[in-house]
Amino acid sequence: MMDEDFPTDFQVIVVGTGMVESIVAAACSRIGKNVLHMDSSDHYGGLWASYNFEGLQKFIKEVNSDPDRQKQVYNLSEKWFIEKESAQGETTDENKGEPRKVWSQADFAAEYRKFNIDTTPKLLFSRGPLVELLISSNIARYAEFRCVTRVLTWLNDQLMPVPCSRADVFATEAVGIVEKRMLMKMLTSIVGYSEEEMNNEFKDWNNKTLKEYLTHKGLTPNLIHYILYAIAGGNNSLPCLEGVKECKKFLMSLGRYGNTPFLWPMYGSGELPQCFCRLCAVFGGVYCLNRPIDKVETKTVDEGKTVVTIDSKSKKLNCDHLVIGVHECPEELMSSEPAESCDISKAVFVTNGTIMASEKEPLTLLRFPPLADDDNAVTVLEVGPATGSCPKGLFVVYFITKKTKDAESDLKPYAERIFDMSGGDQTAATDKPKCLWSLFYNVKDTSSPVSSVVDNVHVCSGPDAGLDFDRAVEQAEQIFKKICPGEEFLPRAPNPEEIVFEDDVTHGPEFQREQDEEAEPKE
Amino acid sequence: MAKTYDCLFKLLLIGDSGVGKTSILFRFSEDAFNISFISTIGIDFKIRTIDLDGKKVKLQIWDTAGQERFRTITTAYYRGSMGIMLVYDVTNEKSFENIKNWIRNIEENASADVEKMILGNKCDLDSQRQVSKERGEQLAIEYQIKFVETSAKDSLNVEYAFYTLARDIKAKMEKKQKEASNPSGGRSGVHKPTLNDARKPVTWLSRCSVL
Ligand SMILES: Nc1nc2c(ncn2[C@@H]2O[C@H](COP(=O)(O)OP(=O)(O)O)[C@@H](O)[C@H]2O)c(=O)[nH]1
Ligand SMILES: [Mg+2]
Repeated sequence: MMDEDFPTDFQVIVVGTGMVESIVAAACSRIGKNVLHMDSSDHYGGLWASYNFEGLQKFIKEVNSDPDRQKQVYNLSEKWFIEKESAQGETTDENKGEPRKVWSQADFAAEYRKFNIDTTPKLLFSRGPLVELLISSNIARYAEFRCVTRVLTWLNDQLMPVPCSRADVFATEAVGIVEKRMLMKMLTSIVGYSEEEMNNEFKDWNNKTLKEYLTHKGLTPNLIHYILYAIAGGNNSLPCLEGVKECKKFLMSLGRYGNTPFLWPMYGSGELPQCFCRLCAVFGGVYCLNRPIDKVETKTVDEGKTVVTIDSKSKKLNCDHLVIGVHECPEELMSSEPAESCDISKAVFVTNGTIMASEKEPLTLLRFPPLADDDNAVTVLEVGPATGSCPKGLFVVYFITKKTKDAESDLKPYAERIFDMSGGDQTAATDKPKCLWSLFYNVKDTSSPVSSVVDNVHVCSGPDAGLDFDRAVEQAEQIFKKICPGEEFLPRAPNPEEIVFEDDVTHGPEFQREQDEEAEPKE
Repeated sequence: MAKTYDCLFKLLLIGDSGVGKTSILFRFSEDAFNISFISTIGIDFKIRTIDLDGKKVKLQIWDTAGQERFRTITTAYYRGSMGIMLVYDVTNEKSFENIKNWIRNIEENASADVEKMILGNKCDLDSQRQVSKERGEQLAIEYQIKFVETSAKDSLNVEYAFYTLARDIKAKMEKKQKEASNPSGGRSGVHKPTLNDARKPVTWLSRCSVL
């Protein structure tokens, strides 16, 4: 039934529903292109998806049993630290008198819908390109966010909050008054950095590392740690200017929504591609999942124009432009193998408490410095029930780093610093949260741009190891500009109340923009 | 600006393509039935504020944007919804049978306590009817959901349906508030980025000099 009324001719066909593909689909549809957006799997997001617990189990099974379907994922290992069925019910924690649940695997299965576990967890800088795009395009109305409440680091063998705002610097007891002044001065100088103006403070530091610069400036080891590892998220070899740019990005995003520069999408990062898909659909884009492609052909018709034809479920679909995720793209269409780059090591943990107690439910970014000399820095995100990531009483914790050996060897030493990974009695009083479940895996880094052998086939990169979505947004805009030169990238979509319908049925909807809308204060 | 309503309910329309979801939404929000525009532009959501027992209730009603056509509703569509209208077409047997699939879809993706209602639309087309009213009622009993036959074209029972769903949500909410000691729930701190925030000054540049 589905295939009879399936349209076959489009201006743009987008294959894959990852972040880059979805932004391009929305942008094309928004300016009036006729778009078909499809995915070979039964859910949105590709390698950017989030899963509930059952969906995640399916994903794990697929990686293990059918490696060809999930070629990008390898070295996957899942482990339970809790019993299959719980023997007893709830017991009481003496300290608080609150019942502390003893979790079993059966409980996870029963509450599977309450989990939203990301394969590509990422944050948004409050003044970064994605937040600006969500606002300017009005796609923000499809998404909700929570502020990251704190940035932590690992210093002197313990977790330490990183003073990042001016208020934090004042309040922290971890650094003395002289250090405070030094830190303020350094951060202010970084905010003043401008790329255009090269006769500045940083002009002679082009070929040196940020660490060398900070040391040269006489910063104490603690301050160097905060700036280099926690604010810039770097390691000892981070080039100075690159690090300064990272710090500046961080500092410039402070003070917009909360105490840190970051937002986390409610229900996980996997929601965001879907928001762009919705906009695409609202402007007439056709959606189809479970639609693998068998073949892609290009044919030059008159006037040198090339038409792309896709064979899918024994149907031929034609388009002027094909936008395709790198994982779905036939090899012969790519002009080069994706540049050899460092793969990504990832881990997800479900725990029974936060890594550092706080008054309200925390949402944490933790940046680990490399623990061993040839390690990379490790990024950790801890999200709780208020973000729609897990049932009450649990936390989901993501670990991401560049691959050195394999995910488990790369990340387990870090996890052991902050979790109790011994299994055993969940009610026992410990200073670390218990790890209840863990998953380690490696992902191929397919984030570097790939060009295609045909002008009107556009290949979208996969997720990168970075903290934010900035590279995806940038690439999507570039692809859009190639398909629709001269057109505006995601102009603001009207609010429903701005669309006025005339009684006369022959007229299209009229577009009216509220004039005083910007003057309206936020409630 | 003062809030012009007491509470906001997010409602969804769900059901097979062509059953009249967009028409129902348009009838309720604009009191019109306009055949020509519906196929040409995707409706995002519509807002109508109604009066329920002296309270101003703002209904934000979301349309599927056509993503139901090949069963590709995003999971994001269901987030935060408080009520769902399940719509079938009384002249289309298949759309009636699919209600069960849509209910499964809702159970998978919407919050467990979402209010639901089944609508048998196009009841003005009696001569082409394939699904009797009794079968609709039977299905509703099976799932313990309210049911009504509607016509977006003749404006029959559309108002009634939305008022009923809204009233049920309100009742459930008030019951919950009575049970829980903190009525506001755990939704504080959720952000929708807006332009207005963007106009605040950059804190580092503007305040650093003090220290
Ligand atoms: N006779 C009749 N036609 C209707 C009614 N509601 C919708 N339609 C028609 O059914 C078709 C599909 O309606 P639409 O609202 O686009 O359905 P949707 O795909 O569920 O949004 C359109 O041609 C409408 O004019 C109704 O109550 N009675
Ligand atoms: Mg419709």
